[in-house]
Formats: sequence, C-alpha cells, structure tokens
Amino acid sequence: MTEKTESKTAKQDFEPRIVAFLCKWCSSAGSDLAGVTRTQYPANLVPITVMCSGSVSPVYILSAFNKGADGVLVSGCHPGDCHYIKGNYFARRKIYLTQKLIEFIGVDKERFRMSWVSAAEGAKYAEVVTNFTNDIRPLGPQKKLKGDR
Amino acid sequence: MVNLEKLQARVKELLDKGAVDHVIGYRRGSATFMAAPAFITRPEDAGDLVWDPTCVHNLSLYLTAEKKIKAAKKETAAKPIGVICKGCDSRSVVVLLQENYIKRESVHIIGVSCEGGGVLDENKLNKFLKGKTPLGAKYDGDDAYLVATKDGEQKIPAKEIMADRCLECKYPYPVLNDDVFGEKAESKRLDPYHSLEAMEAATTGDKWSFWKKHLDKCLRCYACRSVCPMCYCDECVVDSIAFMVTPSTSPDQKANRIKWIERSNQTSENFGYHLVRAIHLAGRCIDCAECERVCPVNIPVRLLNKKLEKEAFLLFDYEAGVDQKQPSLVSSFRDEDPNDHIL
Repeated sequence: MTEKTESKTAKQDFEPRIVAFLCKWCSSAGSDLAGVTRTQYPANLVPITVMCSGSVSPVYILSAFNKGADGVLVSGCHPGDCHYIKGNYFARRKIYLTQKLIEFIGVDKERFRMSWVSAAEGAKYAEVVTNFTNDIRPLGPQKKLKGDR
Repeated sequence: MVNLEKLQARVKELLDKGAVDHVIGYRRGSATFMAAPAFITRPEDAGDLVWDPTCVHNLSLYLTAEKKIKAAKKETAAKPIGVICKGCDSRSVVVLLQENYIKRESVHIIGVSCEGGGVLDENKLNKFLKGKTPLGAKYDGDDAYLVATKDGEQKIPAKEIMADRCLECKYPYPVLNDDVFGEKAESKRLDPYHSLEAMEAATTGDKWSFWKKHLDKCLRCYACRSVCPMCYCDECVVDSIAFMVTPSTSPDQKANRIKWIERSNQTSENFGYHLVRAIHLAGRCIDCAECERVCPVNIPVRLLNKKLEKEAFLLFDYEAGVDQKQPSLVSSFRDEDPNDHIL
C-alpha cells in the first residue's frame, strides 16, 4: 500500500534529469550570463562543458541515456561563430544523424535536442532549458536506453 | 555474361607475371553449394575460381585483415593483392582508399559485374525450396534464377530469392577497377530505400518494440563487426583492450576504467552497441549486408545502416564509395545543411 502511494507521488513529482553538453566559448558563457543576471530557470539540467560542440561524440549522448538521463541537450555557437571556425558545422551533421537514428529505433525524439546559444544569450539559454524541461516532464522517466545497474 | 575462363586466365596471368602476391576470389564451398572465399597463391590453382550468384562475400574484408597481419609481423607489402570485387565490394575498397587505410598501389581490383543478377539470399532460398537441398544456382539473365536440386533444375523468379540489398542496389557495376569482366547493367528492381518504408511509417511504440524484440536476441558475438570491412579499428569502443592491467593496477582502477558499453547483453547495452556501430558506419557503409547475413540470431542490422545511408543521401547528398577523393561524411559540411533541428 505504502509502496503504491510512493510510486504514485514519485510520478507526479517527476523531475527530469537532463544532461547538457555546452561548448566552452558560447553556450557555457551563455549559461553563466543567465546565472549572473539572476534569470530563473529549472535546476534539472546538469551542464558539462566541452571545448566545442563538434567534440561531442554521439557516444557521449548514448552514454548519457545509458546512465539514466531523461534528456540530452547539446548546445554550441551559432553557425559562423565557432571558436574553431567549423566545429559547430560538423556538430550539426553528427547531431542530425544521431537524432534520426534515435528516432528510428523508437526513442522519443523530444528527448534529444540541440540549440545554438551565444555568450550574450543568457535569456535564450534560460528559455531553452525551461522549454526542454517542460517538454520532457510529461514524457516521464527515460527507461528504454537506461542501463540496469 | 561473365566469361569465367577469361577471368581464370587473367588471374593465372597476373600470378605468372608476379604482378600480384595472391588473388582473393571465390571457389566452391565444401559445406554447402554456396561459394567460399579462396586465396589463390599458385597460378595453377586459378582454375578453382568460380563466379555465380552464390558469391555473396565481400572480399575487401581480407584487405584490412591482410594489413593487420602484415603490421603485426612488421612487414611491408611488396606486391599488390588481387581481389575479385562485385559492384558493392568495389565501393567498400573505394571507402578504404578514401580513408587512406590501404594504398591504391597495394590492391589490384578485378571487377566483376553481377549484371543485375545480384546474389542469392541463402535463407530465402531454403525457405522457398521447403527442405530440398540446392546444388547449384545461376542467373538466367531474364530476372530469374535457375536453381539445381536433386529433382532437376527449377526456375525461380529473382524477387523471391535475391538478397534484399541486391533488389535495392543502385550500382551493380564496379566503380573502380583494374580489370573488369561482365557487362554494365542497370539494376532497379525496388526503390533504394524500400526496406525502410515500413519501419519509418511505424509509430514510436511499434519501432521500439520491433527493435527491442530483435536486439534482445543479440548474443554480442560481434560477428557483424568481424565481417565488416569498415570495422577495422585496432581498438573497438565496446572492448577496451588497450587498458593495461599490471600487478600495480588497483581494483579501483580496474573497476573505474572507461567503459562506454558494458559487455553484458542487456537491452540497454545491446542498443548501445548497435547504435554506436550504426553511427560509426554512417557515410561509410556501402550496404554489402554482410553483417545481416552472418548474424546467428537474424537481427536486421542492415536497416540501421540503411537508415543513415538514406539520411546522408537525401540531406547531405552524400554517397559512400562512389568517389575516392571526396571528404568523409562527418568531416565535411555544407552551408545549406539542415538547420531546422536546432533551436
């Protein structure tokens, strides 16, 4: 009985855990700006700073899902703004293919997003995080690719 | 028609002249009527070579194997290796050349056109014959195979027993070759992405149950990886063989070493393996479907690779194995690449 009520409340209070790969030069600075300007956004997101969105291997994304992430966000500089000139263009291709593959095997495509956030877009960062969290909440926990351990 | 005698004579000539070290081709298998890979080192053995729709293997795999053996022995190849390539196989050689894994002068491509006849799917054939043992097969040029059994020869429409990939083949003619046998032929039986249609139209739930049903069977025998000419990495992401275990390695270090994908065949790990493999083959897979053929539990591995092949072609206008000079799919970009998936 207590177990049942517990699981019910757990579902209602489901807080998604999102792993975000933020590029050091733009999105990470953008998230910093969001914090410095005291913009309110959900605390569901765990940021991981990477040197470039182009360095995010699809294996990182699958690994995040495997370790129990409910959503994965990859964020980098706007096209043309990459610190390494073309890293985000490579990311755009790779992420596109990964998204299609994830969709093809039957995982909700809403669980995996990419965004362009520049260092000046603290407000956009907060908006992206808020929308992503709100979209994932009704989907419930991600159990399909989660490892059993 | 491919003139087998001329093919054998050419192989004999190459070996006689010493132009190649050995020739990789097909000969009659001993277990079934299907052809088996043959390594012809002596000119007098050239007569063993066969060519018919049972020559299913992608022999370019042995070029990568050869390179690894040579590297382990610290030898350098003195002479090129002759390899008999169908249209599909020649494309995988092109990808290996494009990636600079092998050098152009280290391989002598003996192209053989399948002339639209493709190769057989052994499973489909056995199902079709309902228990009768096939003894031989040839393509009669008229969209049908002549399959010999103990009751005599039987004409079977190509659609029934041809391998799926051959039904969807775009380039049946060797794109790159030093010698070529057989006529150039068109092969357009089905839309190139026909096998994906049903899956793409399915709902998310159906897709998931389809793949879960199949991938839960996976034994993680890695036969698909072993047979793939593109899976030539010295260390694979699924087995960290380069992790040094010495007497001073602590249990903590052993437990906490980076393992992207566990060895156990749980659902999550099997999905991890197959997805990573599909991603690594994006823009490289030339759809020889060897992975699907060797799978002991009949997982439709080919579909995953085909999906990415389709996306690469439709969105990025990229085809694997047609141009040796083009940059690879994920190391190139165009300004007009899709941007709509990004917020």
